[in-house]
Amino acid sequence: MSDARGHLHPISSLIREANAIFYRMGFSYAEGPLLEDEWHNFDALNVPKDHPARDMQDTFFIKDEPGFVLRTHTSNVQIRYMESQIKKGIKPPYRIIVPGKVFRNEATDMTHEAEFFQMEGLAVGEDVSLANLKGTLARFFQELFRGADVEIRFRPSFFPFTEPSVEVDMRITGANAPEKLRDRWIEMMGAGMVHPQVLKNAGVDPDTYQGFAFGIGLDRLAMLRWGIDDIRLMHSADLRFVNQF
Amino acid sequence: MKVSRNWLQTFFEKSLPSSQTLADALTFHAFEIESVENDVLDVKVTPNRGHDCLSYRGIAKELSAILNLPLVPHPYGITDVSLEPKTNALKVTIENPQLCPRFSAAYINGVRVGPSPDWLRTALESIGQKSINNIVDATNYVMFNIGQPLHAFDAAKLVEKEGVRALHVRMAEKEEKMLGLDDKEYSLAPSMLVITDGNTLGHSPTGELGEAVSIAGIKGGKPTGIDENTTGIILEAANWDGVTIRKTSQALKLRTDASDRFQQVISPELTAYGLKAATDLIIKLAGGEVAGFVDEYPSPQERRQVTVSTQKVNKVLGTKFSDADIADVFTRLGLPFTKTSEMSSHWAVDIPFERLDLVIPEDLIEEVARIVGYDKIPTAELSPFEDKPMVNANFYTAEKTREELMHNGYSEVCTSVFVDKGERAVANKVGGERPYLRSKLVDGLKDALERNVRNKDLLGLKEVKLFEIGTVWKEGKEVTLVCTADESGVAEKALGEESSDAYEDLPVSTTERYQPFSKYPSIARDIALWVSAGTTPEDVLATIRKAAGELLVRSEKFDEFKKDEKLSLAFRLVFQSFDRTLTDEDANSRMSSVNTAVEKEGWKVR
Repeated sequence: MSDARGHLHPISSLIREANAIFYRMGFSYAEGPLLEDEWHNFDALNVPKDHPARDMQDTFFIKDEPGFVLRTHTSNVQIRYMESQIKKGIKPPYRIIVPGKVFRNEATDMTHEAEFFQMEGLAVGEDVSLANLKGTLARFFQELFRGADVEIRFRPSFFPFTEPSVEVDMRITGANAPEKLRDRWIEMMGAGMVHPQVLKNAGVDPDTYQGFAFGIGLDRLAMLRWGIDDIRLMHSADLRFVNQF
Repeated sequence: MKVSRNWLQTFFEKSLPSSQTLADALTFHAFEIESVENDVLDVKVTPNRGHDCLSYRGIAKELSAILNLPLVPHPYGITDVSLEPKTNALKVTIENPQLCPRFSAAYINGVRVGPSPDWLRTALESIGQKSINNIVDATNYVMFNIGQPLHAFDAAKLVEKEGVRALHVRMAEKEEKMLGLDDKEYSLAPSMLVITDGNTLGHSPTGELGEAVSIAGIKGGKPTGIDENTTGIILEAANWDGVTIRKTSQALKLRTDASDRFQQVISPELTAYGLKAATDLIIKLAGGEVAGFVDEYPSPQERRQVTVSTQKVNKVLGTKFSDADIADVFTRLGLPFTKTSEMSSHWAVDIPFERLDLVIPEDLIEEVARIVGYDKIPTAELSPFEDKPMVNANFYTAEKTREELMHNGYSEVCTSVFVDKGERAVANKVGGERPYLRSKLVDGLKDALERNVRNKDLLGLKEVKLFEIGTVWKEGKEVTLVCTADESGVAEKALGEESSDAYEDLPVSTTERYQPFSKYPSIARDIALWVSAGTTPEDVLATIRKAAGELLVRSEKFDEFKKDEKLSLAFRLVFQSFDRTLTDEDANSRMSSVNTAVEKEGWKVR
C-alpha cells in the first residue's frame, strides 16, 4: 500500500539535524554512560553531597550499587570528555554536543517522563564567552527553524555547574515560523558559563580557559516544534505517532 | 516565597511601581516569578540566594539595585547591633558549636499576650500566614521581614534554679520524644539537634539529660509555648547547620518556614539583628521590658573579600563594559568596593556577611551581568574551529543502520528501559513498578509489534516492521543493541562500529505538524467495484469519501485489474471515531451509504 520506506523517530530526526548544524560550527558528537557514578553526575559538577542543589534532581539510585545513579542530565559527559582529552594530552579548544537519554524519578503525565532526551553543548577555549553562547544558540535555532527569524533572550538562573547561569528563551517571528510558536517567548533551556571548579575537576586550568555549556530538553523541543501534546508518545513505540514523521 | 507589594513598600521611600513591573524587574534581573496575584508575587528564590533572599529585606535590596530605587535608611546597621545589657537570669550552653554557630537570646518580662494589631495581621495574612498572637506574630513577621527565624519560650514553663533558667543545645537521644506546637508528637534521633531545658536533668530517655523543648531550627515544643497567660518570654534567635536541619526536616517530614531558611544556610551575623528587631517589635506590641541578652558566638563569621577586574568581566561576558558600569552595579547592590589599581581596573569587593553566595570572581561577574541586564550581552558567533570536528563512530554507525532499516521499510521506535526483570535495578522508583533495567530489546519490541499489528489497517501497512537502537545492561556492561521486529520474528544484535571521516547528508523529517490520533480501535471494510475504462481510482475515492462521512479516516486502493473493457478496483476503508469505539452497525451503515453512492454513479459492486 503506502510508503515502503520506514519512518524515523522524531527525536532521532532532531538529533540528526542538530548534529549537522553543530558539526558545521565545529562541534563533535560525544557520548557517555547512562548508568553513571555520582562523581561524574554530581560531585565533579560542583553539586556536593548534602547540598540542596542535589534535591533539585529526582535521582534514580542503583540497587545494591552505592555511588551509582541513572544520569540526571547529559552534563556528566562534560567531565568525561574533558578528562579524556586531558589524559590524551589534548588541551582546549573543545566543542562537543551530547545528545542522549537522561532520567528523572518522578510520576509521569502528559508533560513529565521518567526517561527523556537531552542535548548538552560545551565549548571551552581561551575566550569563549557568554556572548558566544547567545550567538551559538541563535544560529542553532535559526537553522533549525529555517526561514523564520529567531531571537534569543537570557534570564538569570542558578545551576551549580555554571556561573553565571541563565535560562534561555527563544522567540520565532516571521511568516515561516510555526503558527503556534510565532511571536511568543518560549523557555528553551538552562545554560551558562562553565563554573571554574568544574573545569578544575576535569583537569582543565580555569585560569587559562573558560567556556559555556547548555542543556536542552529534546522531547520538549520536539513537542514545541511539531505540536506533540503528550511526552509519553516518545516512548510509546506507537506507529500512529512515529509514522507521522 | 510570597512577597506582598504593600509589605515591600515599607523598605522604600518612594512609591513602588506596579506589581507587574516589580515582577518583570525580578524576572529579568534576579528570580523567576511563579505568579502575581492581588499584589502578591510568588518569587522562586534560587538555591544560591536562599542565604539572603528568603526575606523582604533581601528582595527589597534586589529591587533597589535593579530599579535604582533608594531604600529607607535603617536606624541601625546589621552588624552593629549591640545585645546589651547581658543577663545572668538565662544561661545558654552549646554541645557542638559547629552545628550551632550562634545562639542569641533575649529575656523579656512583663508582656501582655493578646491579638495582633490590624497592620500585622493583614501583613501576615497577605502571604497566607495565620495570625496567632502578638508575640508569635512578631517573631514570624521578623522572620519574613529580615530572614532570621525566631522562637519564643514561655520563661515560666522553663525550670528555674537559683534565679537562672538554662537552655542547652545537644543532639537528641534515640527515640527521644517531643510534643510540638502543632500538637504532634515527634520521635527524634541522634542525628537531630534539640534545645533542652538545662535545669531538668534526668528527663531524657537515658535518664541523664534535660528535656527537649524545641527541635532546633524547625519546631518549638508545646509544653513551653506561649499562651494567653504568658508574661515572661525567652526569645531565641539562633543559627543552625544547614545540612543537619535539612536532614532532620526530611526525616521528620516536617518542613517549616524556619527550616526552609536554615537549610539554605544563613549567616550567623543575622541573629543579633533579628533578635533586636523582634525584641523591639514585641515591646511595642505587648509591652514589657528587656531584662537582658545572652549571646553565644564562639567563632564569628570571617569577612571575605573577592576581587575581579573589568577586563575579566568583559572577557567572560563578551562585553565592553566600562569601569563606571561595573562600579555602578556594585554601588546599586550595596557591595562596598575599592579599586585596587587605577590602571588595570581591579576591584576588591567586601562581601556583606549575608551574601554567602559571593565567593569567586565569576560570582561578581554574574552580579554585573544580571543587574546591567542580559539583554546587554551581545550576540557573537564562535570563531571558526581550528580542527575538523570528530565523526563519532557509534553515532555514524547508528545513523547508517537507521538508513538501511528504513530503506527496508522498518520504522524506528523507542521503548522504556524499565522492565519487570533484568540484571540491575533502580532502588527508589516512584510507584515501584518495573524497577529493572532491560538486558535486551526483544521483549519491548515484541510487545510493540503486537500493539502495532492491531493498527495495521489504520496505518495502511501490509506488514508492521519496527526497529529500535537502544541501551541495555547485560553481563555487567552498558551496551547498545539494534533490534528488529517484523512478522517473521524479533531479533537483536550488537550495534557494530564503523568509522568514517564525514557524516552522510541524511534526510530529516519534513513534517510540519503532528496530528493527534484517536485512542479508539478502528474498523476496516473492503469494497470492490467494476467501473468503466475511463474511470480513475481517484474519481471513485472522491465519491466514496463523500458518502462515507467523517468517520472514514483512511481509504486506499489496494487492487486493480482489467477484464475486457471493464476495470476492477478494490479499496480498503478504515473507520474510526475520536470519542468512542465504533460498532459493526456504525461501519455497516457507512458502507451502505457508500454502496448507494457508487451504484448511483453506475459502478457495480462486486
